[in-house]
Amino acid sequence: MLQRVLTKSNKSDLYLDLIELASGLLLVGFLWTHMLFVSTILISPEMFNTLSEFLDTYYLSYFAIPFIVVVALLHFVIAGRRIPTRIQEQRIVWQHAKMLNHFDTWTWVFQAITGMAILVLAAIHVWLVVTGWPINAMNSADRMEAFWWFYLVLLFVGEYHAGFGIYRQFVKWGMFPRKPIGYVAKLITVVIIVLGLAAMVAFVRLGGGA
Amino acid sequence: MADRQLTFEIFRYNPLKPEVAPYMQTYKLAETTGMTIFVALNMIREEQDPSLMFDFVCRAAICGSCAMVINGRPRLACKTLTNTLPAKIKLFPLPVFKLVGDLAVDTGTWFRYLSEKTESWVHTSKVPDPKVQEERMDNAVANQIYEAERCIECGCCIAGCATANIRDEFLGAAGINRVARFMVDPRDERSPGEYFEIVGSEEGAFGCMGLMACDDNCPMELPLQMQLAFVRRKMAAYGLGYKEKKRIKP
Ligand code: SF4
Ligand code: SF4
Ligand code: FES
Repeated sequence: MLQRVLTKSNKSDLYLDLIELASGLLLVGFLWTHMLFVSTILISPEMFNTLSEFLDTYYLSYFAIPFIVVVALLHFVIAGRRIPTRIQEQRIVWQHAKMLNHFDTWTWVFQAITGMAILVLAAIHVWLVVTGWPINAMNSADRMEAFWWFYLVLLFVGEYHAGFGIYRQFVKWGMFPRKPIGYVAKLITVVIIVLGLAAMVAFVRLGGGA
Repeated sequence: MADRQLTFEIFRYNPLKPEVAPYMQTYKLAETTGMTIFVALNMIREEQDPSLMFDFVCRAAICGSCAMVINGRPRLACKTLTNTLPAKIKLFPLPVFKLVGDLAVDTGTWFRYLSEKTESWVHTSKVPDPKVQEERMDNAVANQIYEAERCIECGCCIAGCATANIRDEFLGAAGINRVARFMVDPRDERSPGEYFEIVGSEEGAFGCMGLMACDDNCPMELPLQMQLAFVRRKMAAYGLGYKEKKRIKP
């Protein structure tokens, strides 16, 4: 087949896979750091404010936010190439997942769904934050009070995608068996979700008190 | 365990009679001790329905021809005991492969393509001399090769793989495992570049999405996760220009 012959033997599939890996790792790293930063509210609002002012005065926020947005979009396009676009293929995958009833296959299906959800939800989140600049405990508390249901969804969807995403990358590239990787990924995810929930409660209380 | 009445729901379709649409047929059978799906199917064919089509040869998990979808999972009929299953058993032929009829599929054509595509033979420029002793191989290497060679070409890993279900050209875990087998073989003189030609694309190592349905469903329990990751890393290292030290060929 001419079209296959003419386009063969290039490294684009490798590069795409590596970009998927690198952008994914970056985003997971960012998300987990982000959640750790957010949970400084658990220590005290002052701590939270000091941290966000620090990030602001050294322009880290101004650099990091656009950068992460670009990486996230890149990741969406590159990792999204796996998602079947033809309706028949989607039906095959759906039926296949139902028939097989296999844990890792299901998590992958939801990986694709959460990925698309995150695109929308994270965009709203960034918009909310940027239009409500600067980041400080009071602003965040107001936001959390008004949109706690939105953030609840984003927290779970985001952590799910990150947790299973990093698990799958380790499985695909790694030298370790799956079970322990799975435990570690799940443990971190649970810790982050608990921190996130606790931070949400702290914010809502803060807002309610004001 | 005995005295169970098993209900089989079996997919029926004969591509040579396309006027009869695919349908599910129900059979009832009394369970016996040590019964496998293979035994049950033979009893059904002998006592109830001689038109039922399915494959088997060795009935001992060696030939790989009896793989089918048993209650949703691709498995070997001869290796699956009915007492590990509920009383209701649903049987489908393997997806991906060409349907011969009912539960029988043609895995041979597919695996022949795999062997040709991966050039599954030792590529060597040496001419063997029948008079001298064979060269010795390191035991660890021999074991590694043997581990990959245990594949019986049943096709369970292909049928279970979501990628293989939608991408015809994807070599699947069996194909990538095959390449891994030759990569570790010191007698094979192919360079990483030549392997990259075969599996350095989405048809091979980079088409895999890491769903591990292959790893979970291989009846021979091959270490497919490790094999896939091994080939992926090798191919990435080559693609990024990392030069391996030339292997010393004894
Ligand atoms: S790990 Fe790769 S080869 Fe195995 S089932 Fe998943 S996509 Fe297919
Ligand atoms: S790797 Fe396992 S599941 Fe795949 S064909 Fe070989 S024996 Fe069957
Ligand atoms: S009949 Fe040979 S593997 Fe089952």
